[in-house]
Amino acid sequence: MSRAERLTRDQERDLVIAAEAGDPAACRELVEAFLPAIGGLARRFPGGIGVERQELVQEGVAGLLFAARRYDSGLGTPFWAYASFWVRKAMQELVAELTRPVALSDRAVRGLAHMRTARTDHLRIHGTEPTLAELSRATGLTPAQLESLRALERTPRGIEQPLEAHGEAAATVGDAIVDPLAEQAYDQVLDDLEIRAVHDSVGRLAERERVVIEAHYGLGRPAQTLKEIGGSLGLTAERARQIEAGALSKLREALARPAPDGRLASEGPAAY
Amino acid sequence: MTCDGHSLRHNALVYGSADEYVARSVAFLREGLAAGEGAIVANTRPGLAALREALGPDAAAVTFVDVSEAYTRPARTLAAYHAVYAGQLQKTPSLRAVADVQFGPDPGEWDLWTGYEAVFNRSFGHLPAWVLCTYNMNGLPDPVLEGVWRTHPEVLAGDAWHTSEHYEDANLVLRRITPEPVPLPGLRPMPFGRDLEEFRERLASEAVRDGTTHARVLDLLLAATEVATNAVAFGGGVEEVRVGRAGGRFVCEIVDRGGGFDDPSAGYLAPRNGSGAGLWVARQLTWQIDFFRSPDGFTARIWL
Repeated sequence: MSRAERLTRDQERDLVIAAEAGDPAACRELVEAFLPAIGGLARRFPGGIGVERQELVQEGVAGLLFAARRYDSGLGTPFWAYASFWVRKAMQELVAELTRPVALSDRAVRGLAHMRTARTDHLRIHGTEPTLAELSRATGLTPAQLESLRALERTPRGIEQPLEAHGEAAATVGDAIVDPLAEQAYDQVLDDLEIRAVHDSVGRLAERERVVIEAHYGLGRPAQTLKEIGGSLGLTAERARQIEAGALSKLREALARPAPDGRLASEGPAAY
Repeated sequence: MTCDGHSLRHNALVYGSADEYVARSVAFLREGLAAGEGAIVANTRPGLAALREALGPDAAAVTFVDVSEAYTRPARTLAAYHAVYAGQLQKTPSLRAVADVQFGPDPGEWDLWTGYEAVFNRSFGHLPAWVLCTYNMNGLPDPVLEGVWRTHPEVLAGDAWHTSEHYEDANLVLRRITPEPVPLPGLRPMPFGRDLEEFRERLASEAVRDGTTHARVLDLLLAATEVATNAVAFGGGVEEVRVGRAGGRFVCEIVDRGGGFDDPSAGYLAPRNGSGAGLWVARQLTWQIDFFRSPDGFTARIWL
């Protein structure tokens, strides 16, 4: 019995809602619970198409977490019955992207996949499009390399199209990769999630604003009065209140205005 | 047909094949580019790639937007599109967009996205934009396709534009699809306190005690502050606050003493001169906000 099958409906609901709220531990637990099912969907894709099992699983994880952000538990649909659609859709789109007919070097294809994964992760974690510099940091590719990759555009090819790779007849990914490798892929996905820990809204404020907000509302620490906070920062209570008011105002204004870069964020407000 | 350059045109394309989607979208966008309008394509990666290839050199003038993960909640999707449109309108006086709405597999949520399409008409009503929403007649269920004609005043289907006889005002659609709120007896009263600052402190304490993550507590504080500010400024003051868990979510109800309002689009209108952005912000930060009248007073129910 898989971990997902061991969850009660209430446990599953609470886990999905916590993941939707960006709780990293809940995201990890949700992924762990449904990874066998994700792997099962990945195995249905034909082999020899130039898409590795790990890439399909990683895309499936992104699809699962997207489903968690959109899933309405009030409708009563079992989560996997709902999420499997988005998991499979995410995998299909990856396959379509990576199996375009124009010849690319393997390195370029991998670079594209790496860039796309970094972008997806950034969207998931920050709710904003990554800048070129952020993508560069995340992928290790230079801005010039990223620009070149962005320019690569070719026509998608259907996944049902007969394919051969390296002169060998197509086989399923599941035929080619044994379970231990799947586990390894799974661990890498989770490590990736862990490394790119979810940054909360407060983390995007200036340091002093962040300290005041977290301390006053007891976020991750015992709540303090404005006088106590001011004392620890060498400020008056009134100055601490002003900093807090400014921080809240900054957050609100950022939410109300469009993102400066004009990109479509995955999760509402583009930037604080 | 052309965009008047002053206000929104929100139309739909119902296509029968991928080739038709590409051909009609490209013609629509090229017409706009020739007239000096901006051009935006919003779709998932395969759809973007198909249009980019078909546009050829014209693709350089088009903004391509991957919406794979954008359609989570209507308010967040509207905010995301608003950012893209606002960015484009800084460069061109008007724009055209081809957008593919991501309806999911669950019939229970189709109404939600039909409601999104309906409120789109009001949310962006002030923008000089011509938006063509694309629907695959062979890949989408009938209820979704029927909704197209209720939420788009003009539809391109077959070889012709059609004025929809079934088009409805956004608020009418929203009222029809919004279920009646049911009481949540599990919530507990929370004193409002002397002012908004004390209210925020108490609310933060309750949410933390309830196990809400820190990032989400701040989202809650911002959203609840907007709602409570409205209650104080326009609702005659806060009568009662209730908090607790329901359906696995942290819920905060703010009841005011005023007559309330009857506008299901509240909080879905993109910021513009002369209108407040408080509820727009609050909806982005939360799962859902219900407004309703009850024997206790006008109630805003915030689901985190």
